[in-house]
Amino acid sequence: MIAENTQTQMRKGILEYCVLSIIARGEIYASDIIAELRSAKLLVVEGTLYPLLTRLKNNGLLSYNWVESTSGPPRKYYTLTEDGRGILTQLDQTWQELAYAVGISQKGANP
Amino acid sequence: MEKTIIINIGNTIIHIEESAYELLKAYLNEVKHYFANHADDLEIVTDIENRIAELLTEQLEEQKKQVVDAANVNFVIGQMGRVQDFDTVEADAEEEPVKHTTYQAQPTDKKLYRDMDERVIAGVCAGVAHYLDFEAKWIRLAAVLTVFLGGTGILVYALLWIIMPKAKSRIEKMEMKGEPANLQGFQKNLNEELEAVRAHLNEANKHAQPLLAQFGNFIGEFFEWLGRFISGTGKVIFKIIAIIIVIFGVLFLLGLIVGAAAFQGFWDASIYEYFPFSIINEGNRGVILFSAFIVCFIPILALVLFSIRVAFSKQAINKTLSFALLIIWLAGVATVGYQAAKISSEFKQHAELTQTTELKTLPTYIIDIDKSKYFSKEDSIAYHINANQKNQIVVDDFEDGPFVSPNNIRININKSETGTTRLIQKFESQGKTFQSALQNAQNISYTYTAKDASLIFNPRFQLRKGAIWRNQEVWLNFEVPVGTKLIIRENAYRYVNNYGTWDCADKENDSNDYSTWIMTEDGLKCVAQLKEDAIKKKKLKEELLNLELLQKNRPVDTVYQDSVSNRIREVKEELGINPEEN
Repeated sequence: MIAENTQTQMRKGILEYCVLSIIARGEIYASDIIAELRSAKLLVVEGTLYPLLTRLKNNGLLSYNWVESTSGPPRKYYTLTEDGRGILTQLDQTWQELAYAVGISQKGANP
Repeated sequence: MEKTIIINIGNTIIHIEESAYELLKAYLNEVKHYFANHADDLEIVTDIENRIAELLTEQLEEQKKQVVDAANVNFVIGQMGRVQDFDTVEADAEEEPVKHTTYQAQPTDKKLYRDMDERVIAGVCAGVAHYLDFEAKWIRLAAVLTVFLGGTGILVYALLWIIMPKAKSRIEKMEMKGEPANLQGFQKNLNEELEAVRAHLNEANKHAQPLLAQFGNFIGEFFEWLGRFISGTGKVIFKIIAIIIVIFGVLFLLGLIVGAAAFQGFWDASIYEYFPFSIINEGNRGVILFSAFIVCFIPILALVLFSIRVAFSKQAINKTLSFALLIIWLAGVATVGYQAAKISSEFKQHAELTQTTELKTLPTYIIDIDKSKYFSKEDSIAYHINANQKNQIVVDDFEDGPFVSPNNIRININKSETGTTRLIQKFESQGKTFQSALQNAQNISYTYTAKDASLIFNPRFQLRKGAIWRNQEVWLNFEVPVGTKLIIRENAYRYVNNYGTWDCADKENDSNDYSTWIMTEDGLKCVAQLKEDAIKKKKLKEELLNLELLQKNRPVDTVYQDSVSNRIREVKEELGINPEEN
C-alpha cells in the first residue's frame, strides 16, 4: 500500500513533466501524446490525459488550435505557451536536481 | 438482428447497436459522474466525447462497417481507460480534489419504472417493490387487498400503469433497482441477465415477450395482457364457457332447422293460420322463411364457431368461408327488411263494409256470448267431427294466447233514431289498395245467432281460408228504440265497447251474472243504478220538504236561518234544481 502510494506520487509528478516535454517538441494531438507516453513505457489511459491537459491549459501553460480532421470531429492540437516554457525550464532544472539526488542517494557521494 | 440507434457524439452522427449504445451510455455516465465535481468537467467530458467519436469513426473506417457494435465500444473503453485507472494517476495531484468518493457513497437514486421482467400484469407492483425495497409479493398482496376496499386498487393500478414508464433499457432497469448506472453496475446487470438467460434458455419465449411489448401503449398492453390472461390463467374458465356455448348453440341451431322445416310445412302446414305468421302472403312465405332462417342461423353459427376456436384452440373455419357467411347473412337481412317493408305497405289503405239486419222490436233483448266454435262443413270434415253426434261441442277458450291474432269483435249499443231494432255489422280491413282492402274485409267470416229475444254473438270472427291478416276488425252496432230493456250477460261485458258494463252491479243481488239496462233518451242506463238514483232522489225531496217547513220556524234566528238555507241549496243542487228558480 505504501509502495503503491509512493509510486503514484512519483508517476504523477513525472507524468506532468513528461507531457510538457513532449508538447515542447512541437504542436501535438492528445492521442499522439498518449502514443509517445506508451512508447516511453509510461502507461496511462487517455481518460487520464484530458483532465491533465485541461488543467495545464487553464493554468496558462498550454494553448491549443482547432484542426479539422478527416475522421471525426476537429482535433485540439496543443502547444506550449511562454509561461509553459518558463515552467518547463524550471522543471528541467528540478529534474536534474532530483536525478542527481537520486543518483547520490543510490551510489553515495564519493564513489 | 439488432436494433440500431443513431447517436450524436462529439457532433458526429454514429449508428450504434442498442446493446453497444447502452454500454457506451453507461461508460459516459461513469465518466460524467467522475468529473461531476471537477471545475472543468464540461470541457473534459467534451474532449473525451470528441475522442470517443473519433475512435469509433476510425474503427468503422478500418473495419469497413456501418454500425458500431459492443466490441468497438469495448475497444474505446480500453483505450480511454476506466475511472478506476483515472484514480491511480490523477487522484491527489488535483488542485481541486475530485469528490468521486462522496459520489459513490451517496445512496443511488432509484427511479420508478415498471419491471417488465418480473411482471404479473404490467409490472407495476414489481416496479413499486424495487422502489420501496420490498419484496414484490407483499406489494402484490397489498394491491389485491385494496381491490376489496371498494376497488380503489384497480383504479390506482390503472393510473400507475399509465404513469410509470417501462424499464426498457438496461440503464433504466439498473435505475429501477437502484444500482449505480456505471460500468460496474452495468457489468453486474449484464452478467445477471446472461445467467438468467442461460438458466431459462428453454423459457426463451417468456423472455422474448417483454421485448414484443416494447411498442404499444397502455391500451395495447392491456389487450396483450388480456390475451395472455385468456391463454393463461383464464384459459380454463373461458374454455368451459366456450364449451357450454358450443353445446347450447348447436342445440339452438338444430332447433332452428327443425323449426324452419316445420314452417316449411313438413309437419304442420296450419302454422300460418296463427297470428304473427298469418300476416305473410302465401307467395312470399318461402322467401321470408328462408331469409329469416339465415338471419337467425348465421350469427349463432358464428358464435358457435368462435367458441369452438376458443375451446379447442382450433380454427374451425377459414377466412373466405366466414366472409361468404357474412355476405349471405347481409343478403338475408336485406331480404327480410324488403319483405317487411312490402308487407307494411299492404296496410296502407283502409276499407269497410257494413251489413244491416232488421230485427223484431221486442221490449227486452238478451245479449250473450257463445264460445262454441261453429264449424263449416269443410272444417268438420277436416277435424273429423261427426255431424250426427249432436251433443258434441267444441269450445274455443283460448282467449289471449301468444298466437291469437287480434280478432275479437266489439259491440256498440246505440239508441235507434228510427224506432226500429237492427244490428249493423261493420267489417273493416287494411290493404295495399282500396280494392284489396275491401276484398280483405269481405274475407271476414262472422256468425251470430238471433233467437227470439236473444242475441248470441260469437266472440271472434274468422278469416276465410287463404285470407291473410290485414288488421281486420268487426264492429257490431246494435240499435234499439228508447224504452227497450237489455239484459247483458257477464260473458259479453268485455265486448261492449261504448259503455262501462262492469260498473252496473245490482247491489241487492250481487251474485247475478248479468246486468239489466234500459235505453233512454240520454242513451243506455243501468237499471240498478236508476233505481238507486230514484231512491236517493226521493229521500232528498223529503228532506227538502222538511227543510222548507223548518225555514218557517224561528224567523229571527239568523244563524239558524243561514244553516237551513245552506242545506236547502245543497239538496237542490244534488237534485239538479236551479236554486234561483224559486
